[in-house]
Amino acid sequence: MKFKDYYNILGVSRDASVDEIKKAYKKLAHQYHPDISKDPSGEEKFKEIGEAYSTLKDSEKRAAYDQLGSHSSGQDFTPPPNWRQHFTQENASFDDLDLSDLFAGFSRNQAHGRHSANKHPIPGQDYELSINISLEEAFHGSTMDLHFEVQEYDTNGQLKRVPHAFKARIPKGVTNGQKLLLRGKGGKGFNGGPDGHLYLNINFKPHKYFRVNDYDLFIEVPITPWEAILGATIKIPTLDNPINLKIPPGSDSGQRLRISKRGMPRKQADSGDLFAILQIHVPKNPNEKEKALINELANASTFNPRSDFD
Amino acid sequence: MELDSNTLLWLDEHHEISLDDLRDLSGLTLDELNYLIEHGALTPSDASRQSWLFSSQHLVSLRSLSRLKVDFDLESEVLPLMLCLIDRIHNLELLLEKSNVKISNQ
Repeated sequence: MKFKDYYNILGVSRDASVDEIKKAYKKLAHQYHPDISKDPSGEEKFKEIGEAYSTLKDSEKRAAYDQLGSHSSGQDFTPPPNWRQHFTQENASFDDLDLSDLFAGFSRNQAHGRHSANKHPIPGQDYELSINISLEEAFHGSTMDLHFEVQEYDTNGQLKRVPHAFKARIPKGVTNGQKLLLRGKGGKGFNGGPDGHLYLNINFKPHKYFRVNDYDLFIEVPITPWEAILGATIKIPTLDNPINLKIPPGSDSGQRLRISKRGMPRKQADSGDLFAILQIHVPKNPNEKEKALINELANASTFNPRSDFD
Repeated sequence: MELDSNTLLWLDEHHEISLDDLRDLSGLTLDELNYLIEHGALTPSDASRQSWLFSSQHLVSLRSLSRLKVDFDLESEVLPLMLCLIDRIHNLELLLEKSNVKISNQ
């Protein structure tokens, strides 16, 4: 088992009072709480702070922690032989155990009495995962393999971290930022307690062609100057099959063409729209014939886009 | 193990859940939820119905509230104010995100 220096995590001395511990916790919690902090590492840091606080604020747990001795953070250690007799069930094993699991189990034993602990129903823990999916997966719906680690009670009632994997169906029509609840897909309950839940945060991966705003899609469509002038029918991709898009004669760069109901599917209403944004591209290295024809056009044309200038 | 459709709940303005569901899923007690309702911080979709239903998106804010309550030892009296502030932050974040997307699509 790896040692964690809970005093060091909270930045207090080993003889700190409960009030000092509480004050230190609150100060750090304000800084790192996942509902407040925007620091990406804040959640992990807050877990560490919460784990240290839940152990040190409780006099019995703190006494048990103190009797583990003082080690460096991350150092492998084994609780002293008499520690097991005093603070855990006789048959508890420390193999592959995390210090936080040890004290979480300790808390449960305190609450329900060491010998009745095995009979008390304990609900499984809730978990939250963020997943990145492609626009195609959101458009059509998909099935994803989810893998994460959960805390579960072993037959001795001791918390252990175990891998958890299942296939989750991502329904058609989810939006960027959509939250889904998968009931009963969190940690397993113990002694008949209900299983925990899994909260999924859906984020869209950037797409090669499309940008998304709610249910509407946007695509930049490159067109030639002559397609812009004369009009044309061109093929463009959608998230389903490609479609033919009619470019009206005299189209400008930046002009938007709306293709109704070709955006993201919506569960309760019509699909969003697809907006094609025209971008006129010119040949960078025209050949001699192209140059001659463009010169001919320049000489013949009376068009002046700067006629409004003084 | 593949999920069946009964397992999945959309947390958005189009889906509703009962008060009992909110209690089971949010981590708040029925008394705390009723206190939020009494103080207008949590409103049912249709208050004239005999058994109230709530937009499932409330669950996101209520879980934040529940975590903050536990982690900061908050008193019940401050919960309605906290929920209003959490909701306001969520709405502003959403608005900001939409504005950013709108700008990038212009």
